[in-house]
Amino acid sequence: MTSLVSARGVSKHYGKVCAVDNVSFDIENGRIMGLIGPNGAGKTTLLKAVLGLTDCDGDLSVLGLNPFRQRKELMQNICFIADVAVLPRWIRVSQLLDFVESTHPNFSREKAEGLLAKTKVASRRNSRVRELSKGMVTQLHLSIIAAIDARLLVLDEPTLGLDIIFRKEFYANLLSDYFDEERTILVTTHQVEEIENILTDIMFINEGRIILDTSMDSLGEDYVELLTAGEKADEARRAGPISERDVFGKKVMLFEKPDRARLEQLGELHTPSVADLFVAKVKGASA
Amino acid sequence: MGHQLALIRREIWEHRAIYVTPIAIAVIVSLISLAGMVTVSAFDKEVHLALFSASNIAGDAERQAALTVFFLGTSWVFLFALAILTTFYCLDSLYAERKDKSILFWRSLPVTDAETVVSKLLTAVFVLPLFTVAAIIVTHLVNLVITTGWVMAKGGNAAHLVWGSVTLFDNWAAALVVTLASAIWMSPLIGWFLFVSAFTKRAPLLMAFMPLIIIPIIEWIFFRTKLFASAVFGRGEMIPLFREMDFERFFDEDRMMVNEEVVSLLSHIDVGGFLLSPSVWVGVIVCGLFATAAIYVRRYRDES
Repeated sequence: MTSLVSARGVSKHYGKVCAVDNVSFDIENGRIMGLIGPNGAGKTTLLKAVLGLTDCDGDLSVLGLNPFRQRKELMQNICFIADVAVLPRWIRVSQLLDFVESTHPNFSREKAEGLLAKTKVASRRNSRVRELSKGMVTQLHLSIIAAIDARLLVLDEPTLGLDIIFRKEFYANLLSDYFDEERTILVTTHQVEEIENILTDIMFINEGRIILDTSMDSLGEDYVELLTAGEKADEARRAGPISERDVFGKKVMLFEKPDRARLEQLGELHTPSVADLFVAKVKGASA
Repeated sequence: MGHQLALIRREIWEHRAIYVTPIAIAVIVSLISLAGMVTVSAFDKEVHLALFSASNIAGDAERQAALTVFFLGTSWVFLFALAILTTFYCLDSLYAERKDKSILFWRSLPVTDAETVVSKLLTAVFVLPLFTVAAIIVTHLVNLVITTGWVMAKGGNAAHLVWGSVTLFDNWAAALVVTLASAIWMSPLIGWFLFVSAFTKRAPLLMAFMPLIIIPIIEWIFFRTKLFASAVFGRGEMIPLFREMDFERFFDEDRMMVNEEVVSLLSHIDVGGFLLSPSVWVGVIVCGLFATAAIYVRRYRDES
């Protein structure tokens, strides 16, 4: 399998601050990779490097291209929606479609019109972006992106500031309208719970370093959450959990590479949520 | 180059002042000239057709000269507005996209930074002047129609007195050449404004003009010279486009009386001399350097 994105020893410094520190990873074709990290962890810097918006040290290859040096070629096969990459407020919906159609070789006007017809933007083709609600702007942006036959879609906090209904709809549309085996998505968000069921892979980043890089399938094998109490909790603690918290008087412990047979004796086992695993990993890394 | 038309169309969508300004001035100039005729008719019954007939204007050539001067006067209003419009357009063109944060969207499309900056440069140097020339032509036509109505209402022969007295195409060709040449001649400033627009974090107008004021002061303090000021602020008057303009000769009564010559603005314009003038090309090069710097800033600056 070929890597769509391949990073080897990638670093990025802003003056003395090291935003991304010697990071290596691969993203393979047809995957949905979630990049999760606290504020200031280096997520956005890493995405910017992938998008060729910033230079970096080390070897970074996206679709076999050097993203910073070969931006124009890259942009024909890569799309991105970022909370900061907002649509210009003065432009009319129809003008926006005209412009993308005339500048993007892989854009299908027909497909974009079809997708827009299903949204509230359909009746607002002469409206300017500033006259649309934030939800409608996101629908518009996603419709345009989904109509571009690109191999990699990068989403940086795409649903920031949207209400829950639009957020759910956004990811549902993303899967139905955009995603297929030929396409790859790299997404970052704070609302991990909302995307963990669509991810195939996950990467945690903290203080510029990758602290977890795994597929969702192996996540369930590698990590387990134990719900226990009393003396069993003391025994479980000796097995070396990476985190422990209290829930309604019971103990919830998270184990890495668990001895399932032994833990099953001590209480209920669950697959941990990405959010809990993330908190455990970040706390563990900084402890 | 394939994207240039789409990019320039985008500029016109975004900066509606490109066509609204010339239209507004066309309307104002036409209204003023209409009001002028109404006023003249109302207060001074003596004037009547005298303005256009032979009683106080010697002959066809002099009438022609008078109309040409009127046209020239209105054209200067448009040129003055164009200068202001171009300044604000350039200063906004690479600043607004950063201010409203749409720059990352534009950069997510397969359009290079060079293509984008070049489209803004082409818009400033060619598209804005062309809209202005179109407005000048429309204004002339509207004013000729108004004048025709006035002359006919007074019982005059408009076909002869008005339409026979203007060298329309000569006037229009001159307007086109002067407007485009002025934009090319002032292109170093256009380049500088584009660069400031790409570079500054705030207040592009201030950032663009502050050096133009401070540098001459420093130069005067240290060298007691005014080279920078005369090169920048004097440039507008030094455009090497016109043959020696002799206004006395332009209105030479003897020449006009005998109708020897047709009044021609174009005959005063020397396009070849303009294109061969080193100072034109030095300006174009300076403009190119600033535009290149603007491309570099848009391409390599990390906005975060």
